[in-house]
Formats: sequence, C-alpha cells, structure tokens
Amino acid sequence: MKKILIIEDDLLISSLVQFRLKKDGYETHLVKDGNEGIKAIDTLNPDLIITDVMMPFRSGIEIIHHAKKSQPHTPIIVLSSLGEEEQVVLEAFNLGVADFVPKPFNPNELAIRVKRALS
Amino acid sequence: MKKTLLSILLGFCISIGKLSAQDILPKDSSEWINFLQIQNQIPGLGYQLVFPPSLDSLEVQTLKLDLTKSDSGWVSGIREDFSLLAQVESDRVNFKLLYFIFSSQNSEEAVREYISNLMRNGDFDPVTQKVKPKEDLVALAVKSPYAPVFGNRYTFTADLKLFVVTLIIGFFFITALLMIISMLILKARKNRREILKKEYEEMIVDPLTNLLFEKELEELSKMKKADYDPFFPLNYLSKPLYQDVLIHSIIGLNKKMKGEFKEKLKAIYHQLGLDKVSAAKIRKSKWHIVSEGLVEINEMDLVECLQDVKKLSDSSNFHVRSLAVSALLNLSEKSDLSFLRDQTYPLSDWQQMNYLRIIKFVSAQKQLKIEMLFDSKNKSIRIFGIKLVRILGRVDLLERLASIASQASTEEKIEILKAYQEIGAHMEVDFINQCLQEEDLELVEQAIETAKSLGDENSVILLSELFQNTDDFSTQLLILKSIYELDKGKFDEMTLNKEDSSRLKIRNHVLDPKLVYV
Repeated sequence: MKKILIIEDDLLISSLVQFRLKKDGYETHLVKDGNEGIKAIDTLNPDLIITDVMMPFRSGIEIIHHAKKSQPHTPIIVLSSLGEEEQVVLEAFNLGVADFVPKPFNPNELAIRVKRALS
Repeated sequence: MKKTLLSILLGFCISIGKLSAQDILPKDSSEWINFLQIQNQIPGLGYQLVFPPSLDSLEVQTLKLDLTKSDSGWVSGIREDFSLLAQVESDRVNFKLLYFIFSSQNSEEAVREYISNLMRNGDFDPVTQKVKPKEDLVALAVKSPYAPVFGNRYTFTADLKLFVVTLIIGFFFITALLMIISMLILKARKNRREILKKEYEEMIVDPLTNLLFEKELEELSKMKKADYDPFFPLNYLSKPLYQDVLIHSIIGLNKKMKGEFKEKLKAIYHQLGLDKVSAAKIRKSKWHIVSEGLVEINEMDLVECLQDVKKLSDSSNFHVRSLAVSALLNLSEKSDLSFLRDQTYPLSDWQQMNYLRIIKFVSAQKQLKIEMLFDSKNKSIRIFGIKLVRILGRVDLLERLASIASQASTEEKIEILKAYQEIGAHMEVDFINQCLQEEDLELVEQAIETAKSLGDENSVILLSELFQNTDDFSTQLLILKSIYELDKGKFDEMTLNKEDSSRLKIRNHVLDPKLVYV
C-alpha cells in the first residue's frame, strides 16, 4: 500500500483529502504544520507528499527543499490557493514538484493527479 | 479711607476683646479676692499681704506668714500662691494687698488690665468656679450611663475631607476589583468558548466529509433536517456556537472547493436551515454581524434574501454597502443594476475595483444593463458606468454614451473620450473636436490623445491652432504626436525649416521608434 503524507493546516481540507485518498486504497498520514511535516518526511519515508504553501512554523517551500534533499525521488504535489505569489509557484516548480493543484479544487481531480504522480 | 475703616474695625475688635475679658473679672472686692483664690496662680503676678500694726506678736505667729514689721504695719514677703488668702480670711484678720507684676508694684486697676490682656492673648484661662464635689461621685456616675465609644462615634464622618478621600479610594478599589473579576470571568468564558469551538470543529469534520463523499447531490437535497440528525445532532444545531462553527466550516470549504462539492455544500446549508440564520444576521443592528450575513448570503447563493440585501446597498456603512452591492451583482438574476444607480454615496477606487471584478465575471453569463448607471444622480456612479463601457468593450452602448456626452461634466467627458478611444468610435469625431476647443487642460489633453487615433482633417486644423497657442513643452509634444499620426505632411510642415529648435527636438523625439511610449 502506497504511503501518502498530507501536510495541511486546514483540518477540513486535510480530512477531505485523506478521506478521498483512503477510498482509493492509499495509506495516508496527516500533519498540521511545517515542523511536523519535516519530521514526518524523515520518519515515514512516504511515497508521495501533498503539501500546502502557507503554513505555521515552516512554509511549503522549506518542506519541498527538505524533501528534495532527503528523498529526492518522492513526488510532491503542492496544494495551494491561486492568490499566492506567482513567484512561489515558480519556485516550487523549479525545486522539482510533480504537480500544482490550485484552490478551489476538486478532491476527485486531486485523486487523479495523485494516481498519475505515483505511476 | 481704607486705613480709617481698618483702624475702626481693629479698635472695635479690641474693645470687644477687652469687654469680654473684663466681664469675667469681678467688680466687688470680696468677689475679687475669691477670684484670685480660685486661680491659685496667675503668671507674672505676685502679692504682698499688709496687716495693721496693731497686730500683737501672738497673732503674727499664728498666721505663720513670716511677717516683718514696717512703718505701715506687718508685711509678708512677695508670694504668688493666691490660695493662701483663704487661710488668712479664715483667721478673720484685716489685711491689705499690694500687687506686683513681674516684681514691680502696681495698682489693682493695673492688675485687672494685666489679667485681661493675658486672657485676651490666650496666655491665661481663668477658672470660673472651684469644683467642690459636694455630692456623692458614685451617685453622679449612676446618672450618666457609661458609653466609652459614643464620644468618638461620629469623629470619622465629622472630618469631611478624610471621609471624601476614603470614599474615593474605596470607590476606585471596588471598581478595580470589579474590573478584575469581570475580566477574569470574560477570559474564562472566552477560553471555554474556544475549547467548545475546537470541540465542535472536530465534531463537524467527519460527518461533513462523509456527507460530501457518500451522498449524491439529489440525496442531500431531499434529506429533511431530521435526516441530518445522525450527522449533526439537532440538539447541537439549536446552539448558536455550534451553528456558527458549522456555518464557518461550510463557507470556508465552499471557498476552497469546486464542482459538485460546492453544490452539495449549498444543499446541506439549506437543508440544515442555516440560510435562515444568515438571513436573520442581515437584520441585526451591528454592522459586523450584518457583513458576516452578507458574505454568507453571497457565498451560499441565498437568492431569497436579495430584497433585504437591496435595502443594504445604500447603507451608511462602507463595508455593509460594498458587501451588499457585491452580493447583488453576484446573485441578481435580472441583471438589474438599479441598486447601484440609486446609491447616494460616492464610489471609492477600492469599491470600483471590487465591483468591476464581479461585473467582469458576471457579464460573461448575463448581459448587464450598464446604461442604467448613466441615469444615476450620483456622478461617481455615472463615471463608473462609462468606465464599464470601456473595460467591457460594450460597443452597443456607444450611441447611448453619445446621447449623454453633451450634458456630461468634465470628468465624465474625459471618461467618454477614453471609452471612444478604446472602442474606436470614429463616428464621434465631432465630439472629440469639440473637446479640443474646451478650456479645461486635462480634458483637452485627453481629446488630443483620442484625436491621435480617431481624428479627421478638422482635428488637424484644431490641433495646429492649439499648438500655436501653447508654450507648454509636454502639450506641444502630445499635439505633434497626434498630428504625426493624422497628417505626416502637416507634421513635416510644422517641424521642418523652422528656427524654433524645440520643434526640431520634438520631431526627433516623435520619429525615434525607441521613444514611442515616452
């Protein structure tokens, strides 16, 4: 079973994503902030990371930096609002994220992107 | 005059003092002796007793006054204790008194005067009656009940200053105490509320997720409020805080979700009766609650509240007004902008930007009746309407714009010229030429700019005349740029073979492709 780490501070969004991905048979792990996210990357060794950009303690960009250093082959999907700086999105892509899902989003669409990233 | 009055007043006071002091002193000689006896001693006053020479030696010895014989009779030494007089009187011996004030002999009159002065100055307080307890002290004490604290009972209240200061300190102390207690109570309530809020948030997550993924939209729409009981217990739903948390969760999710999930959230919102909570909010008097309600109505597409929202579109509160107009623009089915037309408050740049964003989005779905805004009594609304024609590229409204152009204010004319330029309204060249002859510099500059792309031969003539009449370099540059676009021959004629070096500079500037936008 593939392990997916979800780093998102919005409890409802993260629960919805978790629920949808569990339905597809993935093992999901939920963390609420950047610090916990970095710890979870090292301890869980996930097959895919879904992360928000704006979060408490550590930003999504810092998490991507860390993930790319410790697990360079783990695909990362950035889940963030469109209102955020274009520069941030470009930086995320430059760091090698697999996909970018802008909010508002459809969880079903996210599930398809996850499937594609893992294949 | 003042001095006289003062001396009279002083004299009056002194005489009153004298009178009151001398009144106490007895006139009668025997009473006078009694008075002296009662006093025992008077500061600075001494006396000598003088007995007749007929007194025999036995009597002198009995008196025990250490008398000495002189020409005037038997004389005692100078004494100060007047109580001795009582003893002498009891021996029934005639005697005479010689008075001494500070060892110098004086008359009785002088002594009286001296005692009066002492009394007046407060140096001597005469004893008026010698206390002779003739009655039984115990019997006297029985008559007056023993009450040791009665005497001091009113001392505190009698001192007004002390009482007032104590009262003020007490008041501040009590107020501070009450404030601290109320702050602690409020803090405790807030903490309890926050804990409950978190608890409710966690309670809501699973049922909401289940409903969104497990139920179809049709199912959700058909479910009654009672059917939602297993997900959101009805006894909780009646609690305002739970309602609040649920509303915030649904609204927050609605902003971040798209597709069928949005519709499902709206269905849940309706079926749970939260739409009624939002509708009630906009009838409240507090503006922040009204604003909250307007955001909810806008997010959840509560079209049934539009009548109430329309009333708020001309609210005196800026936020309420802006949110109400945004909600109306989003939800209005009829594309009717009358609520915006009837606004009496001027539109701020922020509001224009906000409304424009919504109108741009809405105009893709329905044709808005922007022309309504031209009839507004509010100038800022009319200008906003003209801007909308330009930004949305509404060619169909050019004719309507032309009909209001002649009566328009300078700011409106400038906006109309910008709209003509943007849309390319060549048929309105007469209006452009008319504006070139106006006196307002800002309007004329816009007309020159518009004439560059829409002008005709008349415009060239008017521009040439304008060039002759202006010394301003930037205006000259603007005119020559327009003339260059309209008639290159005329441009050459105006800029070549002239002694004026500035024209040549402008020519070089206009012809330099790198400086096209400078």
